[in-house]
Amino acid sequence: MGTAVLELRQVTKSYPGSPPIEVLKGIDLTIEEGELVAIVGPSGSGKSTLLNMMGALDRPTSGEVLIDDTVVSGLGDRALSGVRGHRLGYVFQQFHLLAGLSATENVATGLLYQGASGRERKAQARDALERVGLGHRLEQKPGKLSGGERQRVAIARALLGDPAIVLADEPTGNLDSQTTEEIVELFLELNRQGSTIVMITHDRELALSMPRVVEILDGALRVGEAST
Amino acid sequence: MNEIVENLSGRRAQPTSERPDDRRRGRGATQPPKLRSRFRILDVAFQALRGLTSRKLRTALTALGISIGIASLISIQGITEANQADARAEIDALGSDFLFITAGTGITEEAELLSYAPDMLATHIDALEYVAALYPVDARARRNELIPEVQTGGVTVSAITSSGLDLLEPVNGSVAFGRFHDATSVEVPGVVLGSLAAERLGIHHLVGHPTINISGHRFSVIGVLNEFETINTDLNRTVIIGLPVAETLFDTVDTPSAIYAQVPAEQLDDVRDRIPAQANPAAPGEVGVSRPTEALEIREVIDETFARILQALALIVLAVGGIGIANIMVISVIERRGEIGLRRSLGATRKHIASQFILESTMLSLLGGALGVATGVAVVVGYAQFKGFEVILPWDWMSIGVAAAFVLGALAGLYPAWRASRLDPAEAVRPAT
Repeated sequence: MGTAVLELRQVTKSYPGSPPIEVLKGIDLTIEEGELVAIVGPSGSGKSTLLNMMGALDRPTSGEVLIDDTVVSGLGDRALSGVRGHRLGYVFQQFHLLAGLSATENVATGLLYQGASGRERKAQARDALERVGLGHRLEQKPGKLSGGERQRVAIARALLGDPAIVLADEPTGNLDSQTTEEIVELFLELNRQGSTIVMITHDRELALSMPRVVEILDGALRVGEAST
Repeated sequence: MNEIVENLSGRRAQPTSERPDDRRRGRGATQPPKLRSRFRILDVAFQALRGLTSRKLRTALTALGISIGIASLISIQGITEANQADARAEIDALGSDFLFITAGTGITEEAELLSYAPDMLATHIDALEYVAALYPVDARARRNELIPEVQTGGVTVSAITSSGLDLLEPVNGSVAFGRFHDATSVEVPGVVLGSLAAERLGIHHLVGHPTINISGHRFSVIGVLNEFETINTDLNRTVIIGLPVAETLFDTVDTPSAIYAQVPAEQLDDVRDRIPAQANPAAPGEVGVSRPTEALEIREVIDETFARILQALALIVLAVGGIGIANIMVISVIERRGEIGLRRSLGATRKHIASQFILESTMLSLLGGALGVATGVAVVVGYAQFKGFEVILPWDWMSIGVAAAFVLGALAGLYPAWRASRLDPAEAVRPAT
């Protein structure tokens, strides 16, 4: 068994209401270093909430989230932000690129909150863009890039700072099938190079092309750790 | 694994505690590893600046409110100061020690100055210098006998005595060309013209010894005075002849209409009280003693008051500008939800988000402030050049303007920044529903 980089222990999440809406019902999940995991489920199954828990973007109602063997679910804002910045990388469905910045500058924001110098950020950003195959588009602004290229920029940004785990939330949700394939291929390649990646999708077929698939339905995992 | 650990503790905020042995403990320890979020101040500034430059029109329009307020503050102050400096220069030039004594309101019959009033004043009040009286002459001046008498154009005729030859001293007048009266010229038909009178009578030089006609008598022009710009402007329309000649030709009586005198400033109040009794012992209450520069001083005070009222209005404009900034920043926070979510996911703390928005708001306001100062200075310089004044920049108000913009921007950013920092990162990264 490898090293666990991310672990969810009996994580539940409910939102207030009468009765309270229980979105996650006691999730146990371990992601090991070097894994590429697809979390698949229909909309409303709680997969986005699950990703929020894994990405320390939100706190569980009960249970524990461990990143690098450290319980992060109880940390305050500063510590939690530190974990996000240093140990986690995110890829979003709608890319979230800053319109006024070039591809390199956008990727460089990946290190913005880690106190790196501008020069170092730029240098690393260029390297990351090379890695995702955008070495020829360094100075383009997002408006001039195709959807696939934009998502590559976002992936390069997530890779910056060498995070323990990259979390991708429906990264191909806004892309056509051709581009989707390319992005999936990129994830596979990055994984081969050593990156730990968790990808959320509602696309079952796409999920099945991943080494490990975790299925979520109504807030509970159906096929879990057993498959690995 | 080691590489990850290196990366992890390599970015610790306290490099002093960084010893190779320490690093190995980063992972697997019971204490959470110290992964600090840092947002360099220069980066904050740069990000805030980017926020502004990526929305240029909005930035410009929002900054406009502040710049109008500050430009108003500065230009009002600058113009007021320029006017006051000019008025003060005029007062200094005129001397605040100049007194103007008149017969008074004329309600009672005694309301006239005694014929020997000038001598009385000169003799009995030592402090008075340059006492000079003007005597009204009932005559009409015109260019020559061919011009109808009615066309005198408001030119009045006055007379002086040989003891009033110093007239130009207290009134601070000067001769444009020719000369003023002397002891000889007051005995003969010679005339000195005020600037406006000379213009009306068509005298532009003394070449060919021009003459004018005063009620049928020819007077040779011996000089023309420079224009009185602020006070004693009456003299511009006056032609001055000698009293001896006036008595002979026009039956002028030796009752002065006005006496001009100069007093050292420190004795002014004392002397002022003693004048009426000397000028008209029968009815001292009728004698009017005024200090024409007082009017200028009052004007200065009025200007000052008026400027303060305008500046209060400018401050209101400024406050409205500040509210405009707060407003636009709130909108900006709503629009940039995704960006805020992204920044949070990249490791920005609440404080980092808040500081970016406060700085953005402050820079926006300072931009308006800078624009306002530039506009204000341009107005002040333009006004000074238009009026031919010396340029006086209101440095204190320029600093007040910039400081006000700074404070206003920071205040306007507080609430939007707070809202931005409270956004839930998980919510913010999702598309708005």
